[in-house]
Amino acid sequence: MSRVDLKKPSLCTSEPLAKETLCHALSVFAKMVRSCYGPTGRLKQLHNGVGGYVRTTSQASALLGGLSVTHPVLKLLTASVQNHLARFSDCGLFMAIFCCSLLEKCQGLNITPCTFIKISQHLLSLCIDYLASETCGCRMQVDFSSSKIPLDLVRSIITSKPACRLSRMEANHISILVLEAFLFTIPHNINTQMTLGKCLYIPVKNKQVLDSAVYPGLLIEVPEVDLRNTPPIKRDTSGMIKMVLFSMSLSGDLSDNGEGVIVIPHGVYLEAVVLAQLLNVGKQIVKDGVGVFVCQKVIHPALQQYLKENHIVAIERVGLPLMEPLKEITGAQPIPSLQFLSPACCGHLKDLQTLSIASKWFFHLIPNDPVVCSVMLCNRNETAWDELKLACQTAEHVLQLTLRDPWVLLGGGYTEMHLSSYIRHMTSTVEGSILEDLSCSWAEFRMVADAFCSSLESVACSLDHDGGNICTDVKCFWSVPPDVPSRSDWSDLIWKCGCGLCNKEQGLHWRMLQCCASPFPPQSCVHESSVTSTNNLILDCFAAKKNGLQVAVETASLLLDLSYIIEDQN
Amino acid sequence: MATSVTGLELRRLAEEASSLASVVRGSLGPQGGQVLLTRPTGEILLSRDGERVLRALNLDSPTARMMITCLSTHCNLVGDGAKTFIVLLSALLQEIEKLDKGSNAYFFKTHRERNKYKEKGYMMKQVSQFLSVFQVEILDPLVTQKLGKHFQTVFSASGTELNRTTVKLVLEAYFCGKVGYNRQKYMCQLAYNFFFKTTAEKDRNEVLPLVDKYFPELHTTVTGLPVSHSQILDGLVLLRDFAVYCPSDGDKKVLIITEPIHSSLSQLGTEVAISGESQYEASELWITKRTKALMKHLQDNNIGVLLSGIKQHEIVHYCAKNSGICIVECLSREEISLICKITNISPFQPSLDNICTEITETAIATFCQPLQIGTKRFVHINFARTCALQPCCVVFCGPVHGLNEQHACAFHGAFKMLQHLFTTIHLAECCNSKPQSQNFPNAVDNLQQYPAVQQRFVEMQIDCDSDEADTGELKHCEFKMKVLSESEDDLLALSQKYPKEDTASENAISEDDQFVCPGLKDKNSSSNVHGQQFNEEICIRSSHTVSIKCEENNKTDIHRHTNFCIKAGSVMPVGGIFEILLNYYLSCYAKQCQLPDISVLCTLVADVLLTVPKALCRTQKRSAFPQLYLEVTSALRNDQQLLPKQKYLESVSYSLRIYSSSATEAKKRKGLHTVSSAKHILQTSL
Repeated sequence: MSRVDLKKPSLCTSEPLAKETLCHALSVFAKMVRSCYGPTGRLKQLHNGVGGYVRTTSQASALLGGLSVTHPVLKLLTASVQNHLARFSDCGLFMAIFCCSLLEKCQGLNITPCTFIKISQHLLSLCIDYLASETCGCRMQVDFSSSKIPLDLVRSIITSKPACRLSRMEANHISILVLEAFLFTIPHNINTQMTLGKCLYIPVKNKQVLDSAVYPGLLIEVPEVDLRNTPPIKRDTSGMIKMVLFSMSLSGDLSDNGEGVIVIPHGVYLEAVVLAQLLNVGKQIVKDGVGVFVCQKVIHPALQQYLKENHIVAIERVGLPLMEPLKEITGAQPIPSLQFLSPACCGHLKDLQTLSIASKWFFHLIPNDPVVCSVMLCNRNETAWDELKLACQTAEHVLQLTLRDPWVLLGGGYTEMHLSSYIRHMTSTVEGSILEDLSCSWAEFRMVADAFCSSLESVACSLDHDGGNICTDVKCFWSVPPDVPSRSDWSDLIWKCGCGLCNKEQGLHWRMLQCCASPFPPQSCVHESSVTSTNNLILDCFAAKKNGLQVAVETASLLLDLSYIIEDQN
Repeated sequence: MATSVTGLELRRLAEEASSLASVVRGSLGPQGGQVLLTRPTGEILLSRDGERVLRALNLDSPTARMMITCLSTHCNLVGDGAKTFIVLLSALLQEIEKLDKGSNAYFFKTHRERNKYKEKGYMMKQVSQFLSVFQVEILDPLVTQKLGKHFQTVFSASGTELNRTTVKLVLEAYFCGKVGYNRQKYMCQLAYNFFFKTTAEKDRNEVLPLVDKYFPELHTTVTGLPVSHSQILDGLVLLRDFAVYCPSDGDKKVLIITEPIHSSLSQLGTEVAISGESQYEASELWITKRTKALMKHLQDNNIGVLLSGIKQHEIVHYCAKNSGICIVECLSREEISLICKITNISPFQPSLDNICTEITETAIATFCQPLQIGTKRFVHINFARTCALQPCCVVFCGPVHGLNEQHACAFHGAFKMLQHLFTTIHLAECCNSKPQSQNFPNAVDNLQQYPAVQQRFVEMQIDCDSDEADTGELKHCEFKMKVLSESEDDLLALSQKYPKEDTASENAISEDDQFVCPGLKDKNSSSNVHGQQFNEEICIRSSHTVSIKCEENNKTDIHRHTNFCIKAGSVMPVGGIFEILLNYYLSCYAKQCQLPDISVLCTLVADVLLTVPKALCRTQKRSAFPQLYLEVTSALRNDQQLLPKQKYLESVSYSLRIYSSSATEAKKRKGLHTVSSAKHILQTSL
């Protein structure tokens, strides 16, 4: 706008965290994320008031992406969670719940924000050091020679998204598929500049989930008419199919001639020139014995006809996203201009097949070394499919992260409880030097440590949405169903521990979570035998959870440090 | 639109200033909180920078806007001190208002029979004029002589080497005011490492302006990771991914291109006439051949990396892939300019069609590889044989973009501050004849009371390697003195010829007294209310250079500054010590001053100065400020070493600058007062 407008004065708020509106908004947000957490989480339906896209989800990335937040403090919080998710894809809800709990607990305490921030930073560093240490009791090494732990990891992620509406069998099937696809993307040849391949998801809706499958290589969708009467494809001497890849437009129009003006006299037809060039290329291709002709953009119909007559499969309009995978699996160099056609640019395919699924037709390009694979994902309806795709992508990303940091954390809330009891144990006695460094008193330290630990515990408790209680023992924590008559014997009611590894043994002393017992050094539930024998372990991604913890504390520190808000009203 | 003119009352000004001060007071000091700003685009920023916060307020009132503009000009020069500025201004205005309301007995009893209104205006004018000379005649000498005893220096005993611990302390004090509480130490460490890495083996005075100018290209931000993942990388990080990447080891030759290699049939704005099909075919063929020949020429010259400012054609990518040349495209103009500056080469011009001669304008890259940070891929490149500076890049990580931006701005400001730290400032000498001196005859006498000062420089004597330096944090002095000089120039005509007697004193100047007067006029001319020519004399003494450049000045020739200089690298304890010291000396001066009005105003300024340490101490225990005050004054009285265990150090010139700015500001208010008070309410409608 070139007009100079009078600017409206900004809206100022001081001491924002003490204001009623923000507290209310934060508590609503906290309730919302808590209720979505875990496999029994409640679903949320997102839609705008004017009939746009409707989404049913319980995953943080979809939820926060669809929310429109106006309060700047909440915007900061959601932006922080979304940034974490962009990098790690998992543990978004964990981060959000932990951050909100910290904020709520801090407001209940009578401590200056500065002191709270300092002490919580110190406690965070204790947590991170513990997680990285050898003696950490909640993490397990991942052994990639057996598929058990990676499969359990994928299954934990898939089953924790209730909006996918998967039965147990379907969840198993999908987990196996995802792991298989991931294994395809790991290249066979080890060299210095290796990168992982890609996984492409093909949507098929209105089909059974069990019909999903993984195909090594690429699936390219084509119109049905192309696949009638396909003759056998030409192969060269080694049995491979030669393929050429064009990245330029073969449509015969003169689009690539610069931005100026070209003046052509009457009677001169440049399109004819270009068409003649294209047909020449076609002749050359036939002479070279090429079997598959792929173009990123449009192919001129005359050229297509010519190629069909000569029994060459022509695939047009594959688009930019598929160019990189095509280059990788076939080794073909995309040809930028007609003068550059040479036998050296050809790629090789092992096989080319046609597929038909749910009234769509595909060419299946099978390479020698399938670092790229296509996952044909089926689900009943669109919204469930979106959730499933998101879950699969998260699982794939988590597997990549685990490849780099080969650890997993015990899930189901176990890590949070374990960390919480560790912190309680470590902070039960504190050296004077630490208090001096933090320039706080012993009482303040205890209060903040208590708030930190109860925030961690509240994250674990949010997994239960039916109002049950949690009781802990030396090793693990156990969930108790709600409405237990106080006189009855609990030991009959408790049957499952949070991590899934422990058995109910006699002689364990249980106590309720909220009662203040003396802190104890937490023992690890992880034993070799228990790991291999237990089916269906619940596992969490190490890197994502660690980063989520760090960023949650940092975001909480940031928000507590705010003393003023200035909103521009223009 | 109706414009209205209202009488301007001092009370309204004081109220406005105090409300502005209350906005920033929460962020003052190391334990201050942050302010969250939203832009009209919806972007969220975090800041503790007073100037940014106040500018975001978008105020209606013109006087408040003027205060903020003055603050901005101050900040543009100095780079820090906005909050202190506004707190002082508000306190100063409040005190003057009290003075106004209080007894007018001191002022001009003879005018009692006149209109009380005019009398008030006259008194304000007097105050205004006093303030303008206050700085040069009273403040400058006081600072350099009395406070000079307490200065410390960042240079080590030998004089040219930097004492690293003190530099670190200076940086820590700076970051305490700029970033959040739990990140100060970390940012300080990062800045310290970055500073010593970039200035390794290069001339500091060349490097720092370059870092300042190209800072946007020397840093990258990444969201989604904790702050502790921030790091310093050797070389540059270019904000693009490779268009063509051919992995290889070893050094590579780098070529910079800003034009397309593959020419097209027609250019924008030209017309190409094609007469026949064969001509078209031939042209296309020729173009492709030319591109191939050019790329072959590049390959023959062993070019390994092509850094292009624009997007190149697919054919160029194809040829490059075949010849093993990496291409990075669409680099910004600033990045290209930085690379040209560092490597001292100019871009290659393919349009010259020069494929016969060898390509000489190449640089050597020790490595050029992709770098994955967060979710994006960048290009990480380092050059051998760089001339101007050793490029290092900072990667800022943080949970949100606003935090990264805050850290980047603080970093940038820290380097501006360091730039000023390493310059010496000579304060303008107070001349013997003054336009407004008729009311203050004593001012000149006072000046002559410091004869010893006339001919000597104030040296920074205190050793820096003592323990107190290790435990404290330092801010440098330069800033304060600088602001002192420049803001005074609004009303003070410093364009006086020095009397001839001074030339004799020139001979007494030591040999290494060479100075350079840079042109620093641009800063405050805009805030000149009375339209007087102002003339800045800030001479920077460089211990190495001999050049004398004179600022153009329509009245005078080269000004010799023989007295009042603050040497480069002077620092002082922070946390309000400067203010308390100045308060002490000012009060002493006021007590011995003969003129009652000056004495009153000196005491007024002295009291105002104490608001800063009070504000800084507000987060500590109740008795923190009185304790501090008592400690300092008793040490002064007993002539003891000042606070040997003091934790924070700050800069002298900084504060001085701020005070003089605020004094000028307050004085301008008076100016406004007298001008607009003559008008009454008018209504004009358009």
